[in-house]
Amino acid sequence: MPEFAAWIEAMLAESVRAVADSLPGRRQDAPAGSTPADLDDVRLTRRGDPDAYRRLIERHQERVARMLWRFSRDRQVHEELVQDVFVEAYLSLRGYRGKAPLEHWLARIATRVGYRYWKEKARRQAAEPFDLEKWDEAVGDGQATASLEPDDAGELLHRVLAQMSPRDRLVLTLRYLEQCDVVETARRTGWTKTMVKVQTMRARNRLRKLLEQSGTELVQ
Amino acid sequence: MNWEQKIERLAARAQAERTPRVDVTQSVLHILTAGQAQPLTATERVWMWLAAATSAVAVPAAVVAFVLYSQSASPLNEIVEAISWAVQ
Repeated sequence: MPEFAAWIEAMLAESVRAVADSLPGRRQDAPAGSTPADLDDVRLTRRGDPDAYRRLIERHQERVARMLWRFSRDRQVHEELVQDVFVEAYLSLRGYRGKAPLEHWLARIATRVGYRYWKEKARRQAAEPFDLEKWDEAVGDGQATASLEPDDAGELLHRVLAQMSPRDRLVLTLRYLEQCDVVETARRTGWTKTMVKVQTMRARNRLRKLLEQSGTELVQ
Repeated sequence: MNWEQKIERLAARAQAERTPRVDVTQSVLHILTAGQAQPLTATERVWMWLAAATSAVAVPAAVVAFVLYSQSASPLNEIVEAISWAVQ
Protein backbone atom coordinates (compact mmCIF):
# COMPACT_ATOMS: atom_id res chain seq x y z
CA MET A 1 0.00 0.00 0.00
CA PRO A 2 2.72 2.55 0.84
CA GLU A 3 4.34 1.60 -2.48
CA PHE A 4 1.11 2.37 -4.29
CA ALA A 5 0.81 5.74 -2.52
CA ALA A 6 4.39 6.60 -3.46
CA TRP A 7 3.70 5.57 -7.03
CA ILE A 8 0.63 7.85 -7.17
CA GLU A 9 2.69 10.67 -5.66
CA ALA A 10 5.50 10.13 -8.18
CA MET A 11 2.98 10.09 -11.06
CA LEU A 12 1.42 13.36 -9.90
CA ALA A 13 4.83 15.02 -9.48
CA GLU A 14 5.84 13.86 -12.95
CA SER A 15 2.62 15.20 -14.50
CA VAL A 16 3.02 18.60 -12.80
CA ARG A 17 6.63 18.82 -13.99
CA ALA A 18 5.66 17.84 -17.54
CA VAL A 19 2.98 20.56 -17.67
CA ALA A 20 5.37 23.15 -16.19
CA ASP A 21 8.05 22.23 -18.74
CA SER A 22 5.62 22.61 -21.62
CA LEU A 23 4.64 26.18 -20.67
CA PRO A 24 5.84 28.84 -23.11
CA GLY A 25 8.90 30.73 -21.97
CA ARG A 26 10.07 27.89 -19.79
CA ARG A 27 13.79 27.38 -20.25
CA GLN A 28 14.67 23.91 -21.43
CA ASP A 29 18.04 22.61 -20.32
CA ALA A 30 19.94 22.06 -23.53
CA PRO A 31 22.34 19.14 -23.32
CA ALA A 32 25.96 20.03 -23.76
CA GLY A 33 27.23 19.10 -27.19
CA SER A 34 29.93 16.68 -28.16
CA THR A 35 33.54 17.69 -28.48
CA PRO A 36 34.56 18.88 -31.98
CA ALA A 37 36.92 15.92 -32.29
CA ASP A 38 34.08 13.48 -31.61
CA LEU A 39 31.76 15.20 -34.07
CA ASP A 40 34.44 15.19 -36.75
CA ASP A 41 35.19 11.52 -36.23
CA VAL A 42 31.50 10.59 -36.22
CA ARG A 43 31.07 12.45 -39.52
CA LEU A 44 34.11 10.74 -41.04
CA THR A 45 33.01 7.33 -39.76
CA ARG A 46 29.65 7.76 -41.45
CA ARG A 47 31.53 8.40 -44.67
CA GLY A 48 33.32 5.08 -44.20
CA ASP A 49 36.66 6.16 -42.70
CA PRO A 50 37.79 3.29 -40.43
CA ASP A 51 40.57 5.39 -38.88
CA ALA A 52 38.00 7.84 -37.56
CA TYR A 53 36.15 5.05 -35.78
CA ARG A 54 39.44 3.73 -34.45
CA ARG A 55 40.08 7.13 -32.88
CA LEU A 56 36.60 7.16 -31.36
CA ILE A 57 37.12 3.72 -29.83
CA GLU A 58 40.54 4.66 -28.47
CA ARG A 59 39.15 7.85 -26.96
CA HIS A 60 36.16 6.26 -25.22
CA GLN A 61 36.96 2.63 -24.52
CA GLU A 62 38.48 3.22 -21.11
CA ARG A 63 35.36 4.97 -19.85
CA VAL A 64 33.08 2.32 -21.36
CA ALA A 65 35.25 -0.45 -19.87
CA ARG A 66 35.01 1.20 -16.46
CA MET A 67 31.25 1.31 -16.73
CA LEU A 68 30.96 -2.30 -17.84
CA TRP A 69 33.18 -3.52 -15.01
CA ARG A 70 30.03 -2.97 -12.92
CA PHE A 71 28.22 -5.51 -15.08
CA SER A 72 30.74 -8.31 -15.24
CA ARG A 73 33.95 -8.93 -13.36
CA ASP A 74 34.90 -11.84 -15.57
CA ARG A 75 37.68 -10.37 -17.71
CA GLN A 76 36.76 -12.25 -20.85
CA VAL A 77 33.07 -11.39 -20.61
CA HIS A 78 33.96 -7.82 -19.74
CA GLU A 79 36.04 -7.44 -22.87
CA GLU A 80 33.28 -8.95 -25.00
CA LEU A 81 30.78 -6.50 -23.56
CA VAL A 82 33.04 -3.53 -24.35
CA GLN A 83 33.42 -4.87 -27.86
CA ASP A 84 29.63 -5.28 -28.23
CA VAL A 85 29.11 -1.66 -27.19
CA PHE A 86 31.35 -0.35 -29.96
CA VAL A 87 29.87 -2.67 -32.58
CA GLU A 88 26.35 -1.58 -31.59
CA ALA A 89 27.43 2.05 -31.52
CA TYR A 90 28.78 1.75 -35.05
CA LEU A 91 25.58 0.13 -36.30
CA SER A 92 23.41 2.88 -34.85
CA LEU A 93 25.75 5.79 -35.52
CA ARG A 94 23.22 7.23 -37.98
CA GLY A 95 20.91 7.82 -35.04
CA TYR A 96 23.44 9.97 -33.19
CA ARG A 97 22.44 13.61 -33.63
CA GLY A 98 25.33 15.21 -31.76
CA LYS A 99 23.04 17.07 -29.35
CA ALA A 100 24.34 15.18 -26.31
CA PRO A 101 28.00 14.32 -25.71
CA LEU A 102 29.06 11.10 -27.38
CA GLU A 103 30.07 9.63 -24.05
CA HIS A 104 26.46 9.97 -22.80
CA TRP A 105 25.21 8.23 -25.90
CA LEU A 106 27.80 5.46 -25.42
CA ALA A 107 26.82 5.20 -21.75
CA ARG A 108 23.24 4.48 -22.81
CA ILE A 109 24.41 1.76 -25.18
CA ALA A 110 26.72 0.33 -22.52
CA THR A 111 23.86 0.21 -20.03
CA ARG A 112 21.67 -1.58 -22.56
CA VAL A 113 24.40 -4.09 -23.41
CA GLY A 114 25.19 -4.75 -19.75
CA TYR A 115 21.53 -5.11 -18.77
CA ARG A 116 20.93 -7.51 -21.65
CA TYR A 117 23.89 -9.58 -20.45
CA TRP A 118 22.43 -9.78 -16.94
CA LYS A 119 19.02 -10.82 -18.26
CA GLU A 120 20.51 -13.53 -20.45
CA LYS A 121 22.68 -14.75 -17.58
CA ALA A 122 19.70 -14.80 -15.20
CA ARG A 123 17.77 -16.94 -17.69
CA ARG A 124 20.65 -19.40 -18.00
CA GLN A 125 21.70 -19.80 -14.40
CA ALA A 126 20.72 -18.86 -10.89
CA ALA A 127 22.70 -16.21 -9.04
CA GLU A 128 25.83 -17.45 -7.34
CA PRO A 129 24.89 -17.88 -3.67
CA PHE A 130 26.39 -15.29 -1.41
CA ASP A 131 27.05 -15.89 2.24
CA LEU A 132 25.64 -12.84 3.98
CA GLU A 133 27.87 -13.46 6.97
CA LYS A 134 30.71 -12.31 4.76
CA TRP A 135 28.89 -9.05 4.36
CA ASP A 136 28.77 -8.57 8.11
CA GLU A 137 32.39 -9.59 8.52
CA ALA A 138 33.52 -7.13 5.87
CA VAL A 139 31.25 -4.22 6.62
CA GLY A 140 30.40 -4.67 10.27
CA ASP A 141 29.08 -1.44 11.74
CA GLY A 142 30.18 0.44 8.64
CA GLN A 143 33.52 1.71 9.92
CA ALA A 144 35.27 -1.39 8.56
CA THR A 145 34.62 -0.26 4.98
CA ALA A 146 37.37 2.35 5.31
CA SER A 147 39.97 -0.39 5.68
CA LEU A 148 38.72 -2.32 2.66
CA GLU A 149 40.73 -2.16 -0.55
CA PRO A 150 38.73 -0.42 -3.31
CA ASP A 151 38.82 -3.58 -5.45
CA ASP A 152 37.47 -5.65 -2.55
CA ALA A 153 34.75 -3.09 -1.87
CA GLY A 154 33.72 -3.22 -5.53
CA GLU A 155 33.78 -7.02 -5.54
CA LEU A 156 31.70 -7.23 -2.36
CA LEU A 157 29.10 -4.81 -3.65
CA HIS A 158 29.01 -6.62 -6.98
CA ARG A 159 28.31 -9.92 -5.25
CA VAL A 160 25.60 -8.49 -3.02
CA LEU A 161 23.83 -6.80 -5.92
CA ALA A 162 24.11 -10.02 -7.94
CA GLN A 163 21.50 -11.48 -5.59
CA MET A 164 18.90 -9.08 -6.97
CA SER A 165 16.88 -9.41 -10.17
CA PRO A 166 18.49 -7.79 -13.26
CA ARG A 167 16.04 -4.88 -13.12
CA ASP A 168 16.65 -4.17 -9.42
CA ARG A 169 20.34 -4.63 -9.90
CA LEU A 170 20.40 -2.14 -12.74
CA VAL A 171 18.81 0.72 -10.82
CA LEU A 172 20.88 0.02 -7.71
CA THR A 173 24.10 -0.20 -9.69
CA LEU A 174 23.36 3.07 -11.44
CA ARG A 175 22.39 4.71 -8.17
CA TYR A 176 25.19 3.55 -5.90
CA LEU A 177 28.10 2.70 -8.16
CA GLU A 178 27.57 5.01 -11.12
CA GLN A 179 26.11 7.66 -8.80
CA CYS A 180 23.37 8.56 -11.27
CA ASP A 181 20.42 10.68 -10.20
CA VAL A 182 16.87 9.98 -11.39
CA VAL A 183 17.25 12.02 -14.58
CA GLU A 184 20.51 10.34 -15.56
CA THR A 185 19.15 6.88 -14.71
CA ALA A 186 16.10 7.61 -16.88
CA ARG A 187 18.37 8.72 -19.70
CA ARG A 188 20.54 5.64 -19.50
CA THR A 189 17.76 3.09 -19.16
CA GLY A 190 15.24 4.74 -21.47
CA TRP A 191 12.63 4.51 -18.70
CA THR A 192 10.46 7.40 -17.55
CA LYS A 193 11.52 9.29 -14.44
CA THR A 194 8.44 7.96 -12.65
CA MET A 195 9.37 4.41 -13.52
CA VAL A 196 12.91 4.99 -12.28
CA LYS A 197 11.62 6.35 -8.95
CA VAL A 198 9.21 3.48 -8.43
CA GLN A 199 11.75 0.87 -9.49
CA THR A 200 14.44 2.36 -7.25
CA MET A 201 12.14 2.40 -4.26
CA ARG A 202 11.15 -1.24 -4.78
CA ALA A 203 14.75 -2.32 -5.37
CA ARG A 204 15.92 -0.51 -2.22
CA ASN A 205 13.23 -2.26 -0.18
CA ARG A 206 14.25 -5.63 -1.54
CA LEU A 207 17.93 -4.94 -0.87
CA ARG A 208 17.13 -3.85 2.68
CA LYS A 209 15.21 -7.10 3.24
CA LEU A 210 18.07 -9.10 1.79
CA LEU A 211 20.59 -7.48 4.11
CA GLU A 212 18.29 -7.92 7.09
CA GLN A 213 18.44 -11.65 6.47
CA SER A 214 22.04 -11.56 7.59
CA GLY A 215 20.68 -11.21 11.09
CA THR A 216 22.64 -8.23 12.26
CA GLU A 217 21.09 -5.55 10.05
CA LEU A 218 18.20 -3.85 11.74
CA VAL A 219 15.72 -1.48 10.18
CA GLN A 220 16.76 2.00 11.19
CA MET B 1 24.90 3.61 10.50
CA ASN B 2 21.99 2.09 8.56
CA TRP B 3 22.20 -0.42 5.73
CA GLU B 4 22.05 2.21 3.01
CA GLN B 5 24.83 4.30 4.49
CA LYS B 6 26.97 1.16 4.57
CA ILE B 7 26.19 0.49 0.93
CA GLU B 8 26.97 4.10 0.03
CA ARG B 9 30.29 3.96 1.89
CA LEU B 10 31.19 0.76 0.16
CA ALA B 11 30.25 2.25 -3.22
CA ALA B 12 32.32 5.35 -2.49
CA ARG B 13 35.25 3.12 -1.64
CA ALA B 14 34.72 1.16 -4.85
CA GLN B 15 35.02 4.34 -6.93
CA ALA B 16 38.78 4.06 -6.63
CA GLU B 17 38.97 0.47 -7.84
CA ARG B 18 41.10 -0.37 -10.84
CA THR B 19 39.42 -1.45 -14.04
CA PRO B 20 41.25 -3.98 -16.21
CA ARG B 21 42.74 -2.38 -19.29
CA VAL B 22 41.06 -3.45 -22.47
CA ASP B 23 41.81 -2.64 -26.06
CA VAL B 24 39.01 -3.69 -28.34
CA THR B 25 40.00 -1.46 -31.26
CA GLN B 26 41.34 -4.25 -33.46
CA SER B 27 38.61 -6.75 -32.67
CA VAL B 28 35.82 -4.22 -33.29
CA LEU B 29 37.31 -3.06 -36.57
CA HIS B 30 37.84 -6.68 -37.58
CA ILE B 31 34.17 -7.50 -36.92
CA LEU B 32 33.05 -4.44 -38.84
CA THR B 33 35.37 -4.88 -41.81
CA ALA B 34 34.72 -8.62 -42.04
CA GLY B 35 31.09 -7.74 -42.62
CA GLN B 36 29.91 -9.70 -39.59
CA ALA B 37 28.00 -6.60 -38.56
CA GLN B 38 27.01 -3.86 -40.94
CA PRO B 39 24.37 -1.17 -40.69
CA LEU B 40 21.33 -1.66 -42.89
CA THR B 41 21.46 0.06 -46.25
CA ALA B 42 18.59 2.28 -47.44
CA THR B 43 17.24 -0.53 -49.63
CA GLU B 44 17.42 -3.02 -46.78
CA ARG B 45 15.55 -0.58 -44.58
CA VAL B 46 12.78 -0.29 -47.16
CA TRP B 47 12.54 -4.08 -47.41
CA MET B 48 12.51 -4.38 -43.63
CA TRP B 49 9.61 -1.93 -43.28
CA LEU B 50 7.78 -3.59 -46.14
CA ALA B 51 8.20 -7.00 -44.49
CA ALA B 52 6.95 -5.62 -41.17
CA ALA B 53 3.92 -3.99 -42.82
CA THR B 54 3.13 -7.17 -44.76
CA SER B 55 3.32 -9.25 -41.59
CA ALA B 56 1.11 -6.79 -39.77
CA VAL B 57 -1.58 -7.22 -42.46
CA ALA B 58 -1.03 -10.93 -43.08
CA VAL B 59 -1.55 -12.15 -39.51
CA PRO B 60 -5.03 -10.59 -38.99
CA ALA B 61 -5.99 -11.62 -42.53
CA ALA B 62 -5.02 -15.22 -41.77
CA VAL B 63 -7.08 -15.18 -38.56
CA VAL B 64 -10.14 -13.75 -40.36
CA ALA B 65 -9.76 -16.28 -43.18
CA PHE B 66 -9.59 -19.15 -40.69
CA VAL B 67 -12.72 -17.96 -38.88
CA LEU B 68 -14.63 -17.49 -42.14
CA TYR B 69 -13.54 -20.89 -43.40
CA SER B 70 -14.62 -22.57 -40.18
CA GLN B 71 -18.01 -20.88 -40.37
CA SER B 72 -18.58 -21.75 -43.99
CA ALA B 73 -17.32 -25.32 -43.64
CA SER B 74 -19.48 -26.28 -40.69
CA PRO B 75 -22.72 -26.95 -42.74
CA LEU B 76 -20.63 -29.14 -45.04
CA ASN B 77 -19.28 -31.03 -42.05
CA GLU B 78 -22.85 -31.69 -40.85
CA ILE B 79 -23.77 -33.17 -44.24
CA VAL B 80 -20.65 -35.37 -44.28
CA GLU B 81 -21.44 -36.64 -40.78
CA ALA B 82 -25.02 -37.36 -41.74
CA ILE B 83 -23.92 -39.32 -44.82
CA SER B 84 -21.42 -41.33 -42.78
CA TRP B 85 -24.24 -42.21 -40.37
CA ALA B 86 -26.44 -43.31 -43.25
CA VAL B 87 -23.67 -45.44 -44.74
CA GLN B 88 -23.09 -47.19 -41.44
